[in-house]
Amino acid sequence: MERREFIGKGIKRIFYAIGAIILAYPAFSFMKFRKSRKKRIIFHPDEQTSIVNFKKGVFLLRQGSENYALSDRCTHLGCSLNYDPVSQRFSCPCHGSVFDVTGKWLSGPAKKDLYRVPMTKKANGDIIVTITL
Amino acid sequence: MPPIKNTKVSTYLPRLGLSALILCLISGIILTFYYRPMGNVFQNVEEITTLVPYGWFFRQFHYISGQVFVILMLIHTLDHFLKKRYLSYSTGQWFLLILSLCICFFVLFTGFVLKGDKEGFFAGQIFMNILRAIPIAGEWLSKLFIVPGEDFFFLPYLYHCFFLPILLIYLIREHIREWLPDQKALFAGAAGLFLYALIVKPHVDVPPDAAVDMVKGPWFFLGIQTLLKIMHPVLAGLFIPGLFVLCVLILPKTGTAWGRALYYLITTAFCLYGILTFRAIIWGP
Repeated sequence: MERREFIGKGIKRIFYAIGAIILAYPAFSFMKFRKSRKKRIIFHPDEQTSIVNFKKGVFLLRQGSENYALSDRCTHLGCSLNYDPVSQRFSCPCHGSVFDVTGKWLSGPAKKDLYRVPMTKKANGDIIVTITL
Repeated sequence: MPPIKNTKVSTYLPRLGLSALILCLISGIILTFYYRPMGNVFQNVEEITTLVPYGWFFRQFHYISGQVFVILMLIHTLDHFLKKRYLSYSTGQWFLLILSLCICFFVLFTGFVLKGDKEGFFAGQIFMNILRAIPIAGEWLSKLFIVPGEDFFFLPYLYHCFFLPILLIYLIREHIREWLPDQKALFAGAAGLFLYALIVKPHVDVPPDAAVDMVKGPWFFLGIQTLLKIMHPVLAGLFIPGLFVLCVLILPKTGTAWGRALYYLITTAFCLYGILTFRAIIWGP
């Protein structure tokens, strides 16, 4: 291949690459865009009676007079956890991680504590938990 | 390399596989008339199984024909591998065929997710979080395949029903050209799969919100599910399988000594994964 031909082909390929990037960037931006969605879960007073209450992916727990909400998603790979009232522990059915009732990691591959979900208490006793999807 | 004589396995197996693929596509087209990837997918699948006339039959027929196709393609590839036929392929051809086999498994996986039951939902969730665990690009890469929320099943549906089957057929079009007019294989395949779908009823699906002690992934990922217990998600879910596929891909490119070493390495890795899978099937992952 002559030098002139080589340079000519090289320039052509650079233009193709630039063209591909110009097309690919908006395409990827479009494909990966998702509107942030928030889900509100309301625990009415009659749904707060147990020590551990569950509704739509959230565990609402009571410790003394204090309430706190935990996500039911395992911090390893996101499977929903099961609560065992006897041992008072959360366990993952997929890879076997175990957490205590406060959400603290005890064993298994997860390594991280469960996520605490922000919540607010209304005057009428409703507890509103907001999770971002 | 001297030409290798075709055995019965090498001749009939891919033809039966192609029959299973054709039947799988036909039953899949029928199922798309009722299946909806939005809303309550579990309920939709249950309606197909219990309410829609012959729904149970088409669901089971689609399931078994897909499974048979991929299993036969795996055996077909193993047959080529053991007879060292990859040496007669160009690197490009071998690459496309191995890529096609990977696509086959991904189609099966998306089908597993689309059941919408607990197993399917968790499998999708795990897949999404493995992708998210990839440093830097993980978050946006995962959004190209699966997203949380109401659209959870939508992208796997697009991949399962449109992108991947079209890509698969495009990639293997040259390879299957000589098998196409085999009516005997088509008839035998149809008869066997028809009987299976008629006799074996679909297994009972567990609702996504039910509590169960253990959830198993699809049979071909049980080994990975076991590895995920002890390794980082990216290592167990992407790096190790990716490295295995890469070793298979470069096989025709290697010289004699390296080629032999790589051949035994792939064989050992495959056997180990097989043992891990059987262990998980019997005792759980």
